Amino acid sequence: MIGSAGAILSVRRICKTFGPVRVLHDVDFDLNAGAVHALVGENGAGKTTLARIIAGTHRDDGGGMTLNGQSYRPAGRTDAQRRGVRMVMQELNLFPTLTVAENIFLEDLPRRFGVINYRLLHRRAEELMAAIGLRDLAVDEPVGNLTVGSRQMVEIAAGLSQDCRLLILDEPTASLTDRETCLLFDQIRRLRARGVAMLYISHRMQEIKQIADTVTVLRDGRIISTHAIDTLTVEEIVNRMVGREISHAPAARTAAKGRVALRVENLCAGPRVQNISFDLHKGEVLGLAGLIGAGRTETVRAIFGADRLTSGRIYLGETAKHVRIRSPRDAIAHGIALIPEDRKEQGLFLPLGVDRNIAVPNLSRLSCAGIISPAAERTLARRHIDTGAIKCAAPDQPAETLSGGNQQKVVIAKWLARDCDVLIFDEPTRGIDVGAKFEIYAMMADLAARGKALIVVSSDLRELMAICDRIAVLSDGCLAATFSRNAFSEQTINAAAFSRHTATFRTQGAAG
Amino acid sequence: MFANRSRLNKYPLLPFFVAALLLTVIASGCTKRGSQDGKPRIALVMKSLANEFFKTMEEGARGHHAEHKDLYNLKVVGIRNEEDVAQQVDLIETIIAQGTDAIVIAPADSEALIPVCKKAMAAGIVVINIDNKLDRARLEREGIQIPFVGPDNRKGAKLAGDYLAAKLKAGDEVAIIEGVPNAFNGIQRKAGFQDAIAAAGLNLVSSQSGNWETAKAAECVSAIATEYPGLKAVLCANDSMALGAVDALKTAGRTDTVYIVGFDNIEAVQKLVKNGKVLCTVDQHGDQLAVYGIEYALDILNTKAAPADKETPVDLVTAETLK
Amino acid sequence: MNNSHRRIPAWLTDYLGMAGALGLLLLIFGLSTENFFSAATFGTIANQIPDTTIMAVGMTWVLIIAGIDLSVGSVMALSGAVLGVALARFGIPLPVAVVACLLVGLLCGLASGLIVVAWSLPSFIVTLGMMEIARGATYLVTQSRTLYVSDRLEMITDTTLLGLSAPFLLAVLIVLVAQFVLSMTVFGRHMVAVGTNETAARLSGIAVRRVRLAVFAVSGLLCGVAALINTARYQANPNNGIGMELQVIAAVVIGGTSLMGGRGSVVSTFFGVLIIKVLGTGLAQTGAQEPTKRLVTGCVIIAAVVLDYYRRRLRKTGTEAAQ
Ligand SMILES: Nc1ncnc2c1ncn2[C@@H]1O[C@H](COP(=O)(O)OP(=O)(O)OP(=O)(O)O)[C@@H](O)[C@H]1O
Ligand SMILES: [Mg+2]
Repeated sequence: MIGSAGAILSVRRICKTFGPVRVLHDVDFDLNAGAVHALVGENGAGKTTLARIIAGTHRDDGGGMTLNGQSYRPAGRTDAQRRGVRMVMQELNLFPTLTVAENIFLEDLPRRFGVINYRLLHRRAEELMAAIGLRDLAVDEPVGNLTVGSRQMVEIAAGLSQDCRLLILDEPTASLTDRETCLLFDQIRRLRARGVAMLYISHRMQEIKQIADTVTVLRDGRIISTHAIDTLTVEEIVNRMVGREISHAPAARTAAKGRVALRVENLCAGPRVQNISFDLHKGEVLGLAGLIGAGRTETVRAIFGADRLTSGRIYLGETAKHVRIRSPRDAIAHGIALIPEDRKEQGLFLPLGVDRNIAVPNLSRLSCAGIISPAAERTLARRHIDTGAIKCAAPDQPAETLSGGNQQKVVIAKWLARDCDVLIFDEPTRGIDVGAKFEIYAMMADLAARGKALIVVSSDLRELMAICDRIAVLSDGCLAATFSRNAFSEQTINAAAFSRHTATFRTQGAAG
Repeated sequence: MFANRSRLNKYPLLPFFVAALLLTVIASGCTKRGSQDGKPRIALVMKSLANEFFKTMEEGARGHHAEHKDLYNLKVVGIRNEEDVAQQVDLIETIIAQGTDAIVIAPADSEALIPVCKKAMAAGIVVINIDNKLDRARLEREGIQIPFVGPDNRKGAKLAGDYLAAKLKAGDEVAIIEGVPNAFNGIQRKAGFQDAIAAAGLNLVSSQSGNWETAKAAECVSAIATEYPGLKAVLCANDSMALGAVDALKTAGRTDTVYIVGFDNIEAVQKLVKNGKVLCTVDQHGDQLAVYGIEYALDILNTKAAPADKETPVDLVTAETLK
Repeated sequence: MNNSHRRIPAWLTDYLGMAGALGLLLLIFGLSTENFFSAATFGTIANQIPDTTIMAVGMTWVLIIAGIDLSVGSVMALSGAVLGVALARFGIPLPVAVVACLLVGLLCGLASGLIVVAWSLPSFIVTLGMMEIARGATYLVTQSRTLYVSDRLEMITDTTLLGLSAPFLLAVLIVLVAQFVLSMTVFGRHMVAVGTNETAARLSGIAVRRVRLAVFAVSGLLCGVAALINTARYQANPNNGIGMELQVIAAVVIGGTSLMGGRGSVVSTFFGVLIIKVLGTGLAQTGAQEPTKRLVTGCVIIAAVVLDYYRRRLRKTGTEAAQ
């Protein structure tokens, strides 16, 4: 494949080190016009780093690139954009106080006499959002009010807003549901037809089979192989990524239902949580499914005390004791944990080391009379770095320098280290590689087997169907239906997810 | 909230128009009001009312007014910081707009206040300058005459300097702690100290600004005392700084070998003058300074006399005079 | 990779860098003045830093939780004023007056903190308000007069241990305790977490408001402690501590504490204070005039933070890309 004639971008012997750690070793590869090139690899393999070098946000330490036959070494993001190279970031990079429309067109706001033409801006934004299926999102809403999924859509829209010759998508679908993913793929196909080259990074193998033309496997910063997508099976790709065989059928759940661990009655919190009631049993894994904006995250946040309840009651434990949860602190005191969806904003202390991040919710256990024992803190961090397979150079490596998937593992580790009875996972496998995903599934199964009660929010329906005992489907803020394991089917769950959304939305969703 | 947003987005200048409209309405409410009872109205425009010196001055004026309620109406205004020229200009403009017969002003700056004073005079208001003397040359250029009623700071400082010189011999090392660099009375006091130093042949080793502040003066005096082990005296342009000098010399263990001179005769220093920690200070009768100005303003209003400068007394304060 | 190789220099370079900068300043002043290297100089510096240091400790904590406290100078003045009035006007016994002084500081800090957390307001504007309130209250309490109290507070300034003054030892003790709390206790870790990412801190079960409130209260209390020392030396002057908040913030930031929160060290703050004070004393010993002093001080502040930027970049494992 190397050096193929139609190459728009050729990367030759690119190297990158961060301090003493070598992240990319002599990477060679080519991107062709009008083709989708998938880049896969484990967490921390160097995918994002490579993409960022191409997009100009990192500088390489050696090697060279050519773009359309001319030498290419962007000085920064804007330089790369001038040459027609754009990137949709894995970590969201929007301005929370600006509106959706402003974020999308930030680099090219329509102006009249130096004053922003909001009419035109909003019209353009609405058109674009409609094209990727976000008709119900107000374009003058500040981005800070959106959920991660919607924000990811805005990020994608911003990437699509300008013409380009090479578009890099770094895990664009990590928190999208099937519906949004389909619409995104329509856009990708449209761009491909127009001759745009695309580099597509994802951990979702089905998607890669569906959309990519070529796949390159990266392992520990080295290119393992590049193949046409049809010549490899998913198993083969995964095996190349990991460098060994992995078993990836999740342990079948044997639901030994225990007593009620958490009962939620008529929970209301804002417009997106209306009269939600359900029981969660010890040893049970309950999935929460629904479209983006259906209120899944809002529901679990309300249970955790992160948002204020307008009404409703929560009962805990075998005696079904009524508890008042006014803050996350109360929730944690009652043995509830929430692994939030937005690791960067809500889960991590980015400049702090992995060890300190893991320690934060566990300080009472690591201290005596308010004084922290550094030894206990180190031991805890080491243990979770090992069991969670967190790839870091040292326990005190700042969380912000970890790869996306490894950051996610830190957030999970932080809460596993605290022995809670009810664990709520909001998009736990967002950005996690295939191998690690199965480890997380196994870990969840183990927690359930030990009598913990789990709620899992995920936009990946297949994931929920694989790991849950029951799936509750939310639709427009209401609980539309609950399915137990023997009644799981993609079709019925999807139908329930659409059931309460508006008519236009439904027809559109059906089309997608 | 968000419904509003989009409107703002469409009409980004809307808030400015609303604000402008409001301001116009407010401004038109402030029309000129005449004197109701026929007594002359005098506005006393002070510097920082937080400063002890000006506070004393103000209290003197209020006391005077309380005794002579039938003679005039008094309004006292002050600014936040001693150096806030802009605020003082605004104050005077407000006073002109509201109407008054005379303004007695302690200007925050000896030049910057002249234009607005000229404006006041053009409005037929009698303007009297107290405390900080307005710049003569600038007044002449503007073609106006504003009488200064107040003490001669230079003379006062010379008095203190001479008293100190009598205790020292020619060639002795002394230092001056100045006020803020641009203050006219500070400059005058420094000049007075220098006059005395030159006359007695003392050796001025350092002259630094203590910004009128205790802590800053302490820092300077400490450093000077260390650098000049033979230092014999510190002359401070006000008493707050003299307090700083007292502290600095005490921590340096030099209280007994270095004389301290202050200026203003504030209460806290009187105790120190009595027990000899401060050699002397200068009383310019702060409580009377504004009163002199007011009396002179009334005088001019009644007699329509041509304005001329008027000097008020300054006195040396020592352990003997306080007894 | 070799951890131990990387970790030890990390905290050592922090202090070595600061100590190096300090050494450089000492060297420059040592060469440019006659008596800089003398016990007297270091005695004066040791005498001048305690109040600033103690306030800077509080400010370090406040900056670490991503807040700012502009009221420190005024709160110190108010505490000192209460102390002064209690002693000089009402003749209240010393221990009671001291408790009142500390309480006033604590209450001001609590008030700022409560308002900040109750309405989630930016501490910049709340403490700016508190700065005005406390200053106004100071003028009221002292009636804008300096009260002489040194004679009642001699035990504070004159107690020494091993040749070091009590205030200096107290300041060092507070620095060490505050550093210990910051780096070794749960509360300290909570402060860092709140300052780094408030949302994540809340979702991790940290009582964000309580941490905030406590930090502001501590900052206020430390202002009260600083007031004891400041007043003992400079008397209860209503103008004490004006502009001190900026000096304190400068010292803290020179010490490498981030204005954006989450990162800081109390010990480094102590070096920051030393740098500022050595600079002040050194410049005064060279006899530099006010404009020079300000120019040089400004340059040193900027140079210090620029140096800190490079030090941090060197320490980072990775070089962040050009944006
Ligand atoms: N600024 C940095 N400083 C130090 N190490 C870094 C920095 N940025 C990235 N790394 C390291 O480089 C490695 C590769 O990271 P990269 O983000 O490219 O991985 P990735 O393949 O995108 O993984 P993921 O699938 O988890 O997103 C990781 O081990 C990470 O810790
Ligand atoms: Mg990545």
